[in-house]
Parts: sequence; C-alpha cells; structure tokens
Amino acid sequence: MWLLGAFEKIGASVIGLYEALYEVLHFTFVCLIHALNPKSYNPAMVSVLVRQIYFTAVEIIPLFMILAILFGSVIVGVVLWLAMNYSLQNEIGAILVTFVVDEFAPFFTALLISLRSGAAINTEIAVMRVNNELNTLKTFNIDVIDYLFLPRIIAGILSMIFLSFLFAILMLLSGYIFTFLFLNFDFYSYTHMIISDLDMRDFVILLLKSLAFGFVTMLIPLYSGLKTQKSYTAIPVSVLHGMVKLFIAIFMIEVVSLLVQLL
Amino acid sequence: MFHNSEALERYVSELHVPVLVSNETPLISNLNMVENIALIEEVHCNKSIADAEKKAYGMLQSVGLQEIAYKRVATCNAAEILYVMLLRALMMQTDTIYMKLPHTITVGFKEIRTIINEVQKLMGEKKLFILDLKINAVHYEGCACSIVK
Repeated sequence: MWLLGAFEKIGASVIGLYEALYEVLHFTFVCLIHALNPKSYNPAMVSVLVRQIYFTAVEIIPLFMILAILFGSVIVGVVLWLAMNYSLQNEIGAILVTFVVDEFAPFFTALLISLRSGAAINTEIAVMRVNNELNTLKTFNIDVIDYLFLPRIIAGILSMIFLSFLFAILMLLSGYIFTFLFLNFDFYSYTHMIISDLDMRDFVILLLKSLAFGFVTMLIPLYSGLKTQKSYTAIPVSVLHGMVKLFIAIFMIEVVSLLVQLL
Repeated sequence: MFHNSEALERYVSELHVPVLVSNETPLISNLNMVENIALIEEVHCNKSIADAEKKAYGMLQSVGLQEIAYKRVATCNAAEILYVMLLRALMMQTDTIYMKLPHTITVGFKEIRTIINEVQKLMGEKKLFILDLKINAVHYEGCACSIVK
C-alpha cells in the first residue's frame, strides 16, 4: 500500500512539474509576443525600462568593478599557478579565455544580479499583488505585461550582457596584476596571449549565456511575485521560492551550456 | 443607493464601465502622486512624461495640493489619496466616473463632500456617480454629483 502511495506522490510531483513548466513557457511566449508588438512601447513603459536599467546595471557598477578586479587578480592567479604546476604554460591564454569569458563572467554576473535585482523585483510585484495594485492597472486598462514585465525583462537582458562583458574585461585586465608580480609578464605579452586565444565562438557563448541568464533573472522573480497569495505574510515566502527557482534555473543553464560546448 | 452590499456588487458586475475610484483600485505605491495621475495619459494617449506630469501637477495645483505632488502613498493622508484617485480617474477617456463606497477610502463624509465639490470644478462634461448603501444617503445631501439609487 505504501508503495502505491509513494508512486502516486511521484506521479503527482511529475505532473505538477510539467504543469509549472508549461505555465512558465506560456508566460514566456506571451511576453515575447508583447515584446514584438510596437504598441507595447509607450512613454510609461520606456520610463520603467530606463529606471530598471539604472537600478540593475548602473547603480551596481562600483561594487561590480571592485569584485571583478578582486576576483580577477586572485582567480586568474590561481589558474596561472595551476597551469605552471602542470606544465601548461603554452595553454594559459586558452585556459584564461575559456574560464573567464565563457564561464565565470556570465555565471558570476547572473548570481550578482539575481541576488540584487531578482529579489527586489519579486518583492515589488508581490507587494503590488497583495495591495491590489495589479487590479488598479487592469481597471485602468494598463496592460500589466507591457507596463510591469516587459521593461524589466528587456532591462535584465541588456544589463546582463553589458555587465558580463564588463566583468570579463576587468577580470582579464586585473589578472595581469598577478602575472606581472609573479611571472614577470609584460603587458603587451599578456594582452597578446589573451587576444590570440579569443575568437568569435567565445563572444557568441558570452552573448548567448548573458541573454539566457538575463531573461530568467527577471522572468522567474516576476512570475513568482505574480503568484503570491494575497497576504502580507506570503510575500517573503514568495521571494524565497522565487529565488530558489531562479538559482536552479541559473545552474541548469550553466549545465546545458557546458554540455552543448562539449558536443 | 443600495439596500445592501450584495445588491451593490451585483450592480457593479453588470456595469459596462469599470469603477475607477474604490478601495479595490489603490494608487500605485512605487509612484509619487504626479506619476500616478500622469500614468493614464502616458499609456493611453502616448503623451510624453514631461507633458503628462505637467498636466497632472496643474490638476493638483487647482485643488491646492501641489505640496503632495512628489510624495508617495505612504506619506499622504486618506483625504489626499482620495483627491488623487479622483484626479487619476478624470484622466481616463470616459464620460462617466463611478466611485464605490468612498468612506472606505477616507474617513469622514464631510471630507468626501468637500473633495467631490472641489474636484467638480475640473470635471467639465464628465459625470461622477457615487455607489453607496442607503443608510449613507443622508451624508451625500448637497453633494455636487449624482447618486445611483
């Protein structure tokens, strides 16, 4: 009997998962349709877009640059030390480019933006839902997707792309600090080593991963906020669930991108 | 005026126009008062932010509330919130504005009468209808608006 009960629970969980996945995909499709409709872009929407880009990408720049430089010098130093230990001096450029540009920059940027902006957006939408402000927008014929969701998704994608590129550049530049101090590399040799191993594939990987990360970093908190129960005590629960789902999505994207690169 | 709230809700559900002023349509909390009023024309008339906010500020000035223009909901009192909700409703391209149970938005029927009489100056050709319960009818005597019976 208990076995039947266990199978029932597994079945119910799988069905629930497929239903949730279908809802998210449907929501994504609706957002994409609105993004392609020129009528979605009115002055109010553009104002929200500009503000969101400022909060997500511009306000964070000082902290972001400090972290990129700190991580850059330490992590690049560790990578170089390992490369030297395993006699991989000739591959240092390729290792750095793959590690920093293809993997670390987009992933770390996604984590930082999701912690900062994802949580804030989830909370904002959840509060609007509890306060009935979403009903206000509906009553006044203001499309919720055009006014609330679309500008945040676009802002997230643009911010993620910009910050990922910035992080990669700063990390590689600050890695020179370690190479100069411990390996006596001159700046020209270091930059030549990096540039010669950079190709279009790395830019495409960085761009596509930033796009995917930027999309989910905004979509999941928005969707989670929209599904909040109408009670103030449900707001932190909604944010918690949203952030957990977001981190799982970020890790899934990373795993899928690694598998695709290995093919 | 309705005998009970069920009759009122039934009437509201049969209306072809939405009820723009009620405690179910609160102001947007992450916008200030001017932005709340201006939002309507920015979305529906594609007016620029500057033009829409200038008009919204002018409306607040004409009812003597310019000092709350850049304040948010949490820092305004209930009467000020009702003023802004009515001004926001005026921005809609509709000839009729329905207001449901105004005493649930602000306390004091005297306040409600004052607010309605002030806002009436800006209404032009638009008509304001109040949806409330029969027991509150006496509070609206002398009010410059129509009362649905």
